[in-house]
Amino acid sequence: MSLKDLVSPFFVWQRAFEKPYTVGLRPIEERPGAPAYRGFHINMSDDCVGCGSCYTICQNHAIDMVKVEGLEARSGDSGLRPRFDYGRCCWCGLCIDICTAGSLRMSNEYAWFTTDPDEFRFVAGVENKSWQGSTAGYHRHPDYHLFPPRRVEMEMLGPGESVSSFTEVVKGYSEEQAKQEADRCVECGICVATCPAHMDVPDYIRSIRDGDYEKGLQLMYRTNPFPATCGRICTRRCESVCPVGIQGEPVAIRWLKRFIVDQVEDSDYARILPEVADDTGKRVAIVGAGPGGLSTAYYLRLKGHAVSVFEAQSRPGGMLRYGVPGYRLPDEALDKDIEYIRSLGVEIHLNHSVGRETAFTSLLEDYDAVFVSTGLNVPSKMRIQGEDHPRAMAGLTLLDDVANGRDPQIGGSVAVIGGGNVAMDAARVSRRLGAEVTVLYRRRIEDMPADTEEIEESQAEGCTFVTQAIPLEAMDAEQEGKVVLKWGEAEMVPDPGGGRPRPVLQEDRMHLDTFDTIISAIGQGSNLDYIPAGIADQLQIKWGKFIPGDYQQMVVQKLFVGGDVANATADAISAIEDGHHAARGIDRFLSTGQRS
Amino acid sequence: MNTVDEILDYAIDQEQQAADFYADMAKRSEKSGMKEIFQEFSREEERHRDKLLDVKRGEQELTAHQQVLDLKITDYLVEVETTENISYQDALIIAMKRERAAFRLYSDLAEKVSEGDLREVFLGLAKEEAKHKLFFESEYDDRILQEN
Ligand SMILES: Cc1cc2nc3c(=O)[nH]c(=O)nc-3n(C[C@H](O)[C@H](O)[C@H](O)COP(=O)(O)OP(=O)(O)OC[C@H]3O[C@@H](n4cnc5c(N)ncnc54)[C@H](O)[C@@H]3O)c2cc1C
Ligand code: SF4
Repeated sequence: MSLKDLVSPFFVWQRAFEKPYTVGLRPIEERPGAPAYRGFHINMSDDCVGCGSCYTICQNHAIDMVKVEGLEARSGDSGLRPRFDYGRCCWCGLCIDICTAGSLRMSNEYAWFTTDPDEFRFVAGVENKSWQGSTAGYHRHPDYHLFPPRRVEMEMLGPGESVSSFTEVVKGYSEEQAKQEADRCVECGICVATCPAHMDVPDYIRSIRDGDYEKGLQLMYRTNPFPATCGRICTRRCESVCPVGIQGEPVAIRWLKRFIVDQVEDSDYARILPEVADDTGKRVAIVGAGPGGLSTAYYLRLKGHAVSVFEAQSRPGGMLRYGVPGYRLPDEALDKDIEYIRSLGVEIHLNHSVGRETAFTSLLEDYDAVFVSTGLNVPSKMRIQGEDHPRAMAGLTLLDDVANGRDPQIGGSVAVIGGGNVAMDAARVSRRLGAEVTVLYRRRIEDMPADTEEIEESQAEGCTFVTQAIPLEAMDAEQEGKVVLKWGEAEMVPDPGGGRPRPVLQEDRMHLDTFDTIISAIGQGSNLDYIPAGIADQLQIKWGKFIPGDYQQMVVQKLFVGGDVANATADAISAIEDGHHAARGIDRFLSTGQRS
Repeated sequence: MNTVDEILDYAIDQEQQAADFYADMAKRSEKSGMKEIFQEFSREEERHRDKLLDVKRGEQELTAHQQVLDLKITDYLVEVETTENISYQDALIIAMKRERAAFRLYSDLAEKVSEGDLREVFLGLAKEEAKHKLFFESEYDDRILQEN
């Protein structure tokens, strides 16, 4: 080793007191990022719904959706949150632009020193970072959207036109409109988890973008054999959670479903949809030809079981036929669904009431399994004086009359009592029959269980709403053929138990109004009288509803139940899912003889 | 009923009778699911009885001067029959009407007696019954009047 080699390290000290050439460790104070700089990510985790659009759009695979401790998945929130990998991020900001919830943005911080490279992968908004509270940095401009915030408007009959007949109000999308609307879907799948039937929404919406409607139909039939119906009247819980709706309007999932079904001719169904398996030799009886019973029938028939449906009414469809009016669900749409199920060899015995034509016990004896979905068809009573007045009727009776082509003779002015969907249907049907309609409801508009759209359409069609109105008595009017309704105003009072506010009658504010007909639509209950006491005693039944076990099975092994008479949600899609679920349970039961 | 204890004995007996009434309804009821409901009503009345027993033993007090919300649902409902086939709605109406009658009775008695301490007991009992009525009326409002 030379002497130079030995002393050269000491030359470094020559520069020890000169100004340094490299930057210090804290440049941000001296040179902060520009106000709109694309720096480190900020996520408002409480606003985020874990839709994963950021993950999907990121071209660099810099985002993973990860489970976060203490955050559970629930309807409308996947429970996942984006984790950023700064070894990959190129700061393009696409994730910010697409973020449906508007929870994601960027701070203007750009310096982060650590000796551990793994730290550069972090879950923004969950791991505590100094820039989480920063207001500077890149934000998407509120008026700038990667997808249109408003849905493609649906053409409908105007209110004047709609009340003049029972013609379907909603006209349906054209192909161009449907494709445009389908383009708004970010394919997050949040809707799939919330849909009771877990329909594969993003994929059937994609089939519209691809113009492959047969594929769309196949996807829908996997979990729902009533797509023409649901495409019109579904309660669409999917739309209530679609994150596109957080900053705009949710994707019009229901109308897109309808669009697909409307594109495919009935005659092509058999070619497109799955074939029936070979006969198994097993026989299943189904009581009730509503959506619950017929969905079970469809999925059991596909497995090769022989299915006999017993229906008390003269046409199949249950409440979809006799409750939901034709201007929302025309018979042709319902028949498109039902006739296909029938075409697979499902036998439907009409005008056949179990308990009258056939004993319930004989079904249990003669068949390998029995599925019961008899719905809720007994109108609840108000239990007020004069309820049985000749000019008072139940909403269900009115709807049943109209569905069967009978004139319910309601006259020119009616009071509809209630705030649910049946009340809205009764009101709108009454308008179509030419009556002036007053809807009386004991609480406020915002408390109404009816779909908001139904409430708005009722109002647009000229129904008058009187809220916080408590019906007290029906009595004879001076004029023959009319009825007087005594009702009182109510104040909303906080519930001492912490529940929702309760209406309290104000006895000094009473009213007497004369109508041609009073229509009560305050709910409906079940009629389980067809089940003999010896069997009923063994079953778990509460508030007139069955409480089924796994796969909708009851303690009586052969017996499965579903639909309105067994669930709390009482809508078509829940009945359909109950039917699908029960069919899987029944199929297992038939092939193994075991409880599900 | 001249002493506080006599009044409480009467009220305790009334609650016991109500418990027995519902227990009997539970036995007679033929409608699926109603047996359990009447058994629950019967247990509710036993809880009322036990509270009054506590009051008599001096372990709890009746509060005569508190506000109890009156939903006024019961007042305008028709009387219903107690049949083997009774529905939940009608069972609630019976329960509400019984509580209302008891409330009326104690309120009337409170008006009639002159001794201050007896009046306080009657008023306290009336408040108890008003609370029981509110319990059943709230249930009626939640379950029966869902769409109304
Ligand atoms: C006016 C109205 C509007 C509605 N609007 C909507 C809506 O917009 N969207 C929505 O999703 N849902 C709606 N619903 C609810 C929907 O119709 C029901 O959730 C659905 O029909 C339930 O299906 P289900 O198979 O359980 O019973 P149901 O459809 O009620 O079918 C039961 C069938 O069983 C038959 N039956 C009963 N007892 C017997 C017996 N002993 N023997 C033989 N047959 C028997 C009945 O005749 C009936 O056909 C509405 C309901 C009503 C009444
Ligand atoms: S419809 Fe909405 S919720 Fe469903 S996948 Fe598309 S964007 Fe997501």
